[in-house]
Amino acid sequence: MSSKHLRTGHVRSFSRMDGYLDFFQMLSGIGLILFMWSHMFFVATVLLSPRLFNFVAWLFEATYMANVAGVIIAMILISHFILAARKMPFKRNEFGEITKHALLINHKDTWKWLIQVVSGMIILVMGLAHVWVVLSAEPMNIGGKELIISATSSASRVANGWLLYYMVLLLVVEVHIGIGFYRLGVKWGYISRETRPFWKRIELAVTASFIVLGVAVLYTLLKYSEVSGI
Amino acid sequence: MARMLTFNIFRFNPQDEGSKPKMQTFKIEETDSMTLFIALHKIREEQDPSLMFDFCCRAGICGACGMIINGRPELACHTKTKDLPKVTTLMPLPVFKLVGDLSVDTGTWFRQMYQNSESWIHTNKEFDPNAPEERMSNETANAIYDLDRCIECGCCVASCGTARMRPEFMAPAGLMRVARFMVDPRDQRDSEDFYEIIGSDEGVFGCMGLLACEDTCPKDLPLQDQLGYLRKKMGITAIKHLIPGRKG
Repeated sequence: MSSKHLRTGHVRSFSRMDGYLDFFQMLSGIGLILFMWSHMFFVATVLLSPRLFNFVAWLFEATYMANVAGVIIAMILISHFILAARKMPFKRNEFGEITKHALLINHKDTWKWLIQVVSGMIILVMGLAHVWVVLSAEPMNIGGKELIISATSSASRVANGWLLYYMVLLLVVEVHIGIGFYRLGVKWGYISRETRPFWKRIELAVTASFIVLGVAVLYTLLKYSEVSGI
Repeated sequence: MARMLTFNIFRFNPQDEGSKPKMQTFKIEETDSMTLFIALHKIREEQDPSLMFDFCCRAGICGACGMIINGRPELACHTKTKDLPKVTTLMPLPVFKLVGDLSVDTGTWFRQMYQNSESWIHTNKEFDPNAPEERMSNETANAIYDLDRCIECGCCVASCGTARMRPEFMAPAGLMRVARFMVDPRDQRDSEDFYEIIGSDEGVFGCMGLLACEDTCPKDLPLQDQLGYLRKKMGITAIKHLIPGRKG
């Protein structure tokens, strides 16, 4: 800050920062939604065949996409959390007030926001741990190729104690994304009063579909581990 | 046979040191075309003259009788008892200062809001009392009127989670007030000027899109659409400055 007289805080200074932060909160949110949807489609290839899953993994690893994207996604995730944290009720009295408020007015979208706050905090910890565990795994020899990500390594994790972890992560991510994209549309004026009921149905359908898809993937990996004796 | 209605009402008088906050139950017999406003008067006249609640017009115009009716901010005069269940819980609107029981002081909050939102026409034009009034299109006049229908009952403010958590937030009523001056051609302020008023986390960027305001406004004001429009407009006003080579 160049102007010394502003340091006292007695002079009101104009800033566009809140607008920028809100805009980047939206942008990082859209980025993460698109990433998570693509992520689900990529892991869902295991439903068709584990070999296809391995091929997709090889494609990303051979082009260094997995490592680079992993780091970038982790950074976007942290940035999105910091940007959204501006609104979160971290102070004890803020959390108390919003909880009492939700209980008082009995309004669904207000509850949804609280769910978004809690799920966001869970995703920050569990999501980052997931990225770390997946990308720091020892490479395995799959069909003559050294792969960090493979149907075998994923099935092994699911079969060896990570199933509950992934069930929880799947649930919180899909709920957070569903509410998130609906709220983005509402906040930035793309979902109007007229189209709101339609988008609410879409939100529910998308969330439910991705949860079903995720459960199917986990079930397939579990079965694959049994068949291949992992 | 007429229903016997039960009302659980919040009782507390902050002026009285001996008063302790509690819920008190009243029972009255329902009559034809009864509104909650009539029911409350009946309770006050027949059972407890100390019951405090606000009213004035009885017709959804003055905005004085806003309260939380079974978890929903509403006007007592707008609420027909036939639409209520047998047991109804009544609470004062949160966010505002409590006068006593169901009565809150919305006036102080709204006066502060006028100042924060600078809700008056800003113009450099000299006023000529002899000149005929400037004409505006019927469409513009209707658009202004649509946003000017706010009766300042405070239901949107009381339903807003952000306003409850953060007293410095301008709240839906404050943002709607700014939206009203944006469409007024007599106001000479541009987007950059309005950004100085609402372009912050205390203004439109503080709105979290919970839409409780939209769902509770007794006058059905287009809150969702206006808040979305304001955020988009102010967002564009801000990010324009991030485009390289653009002056200002």
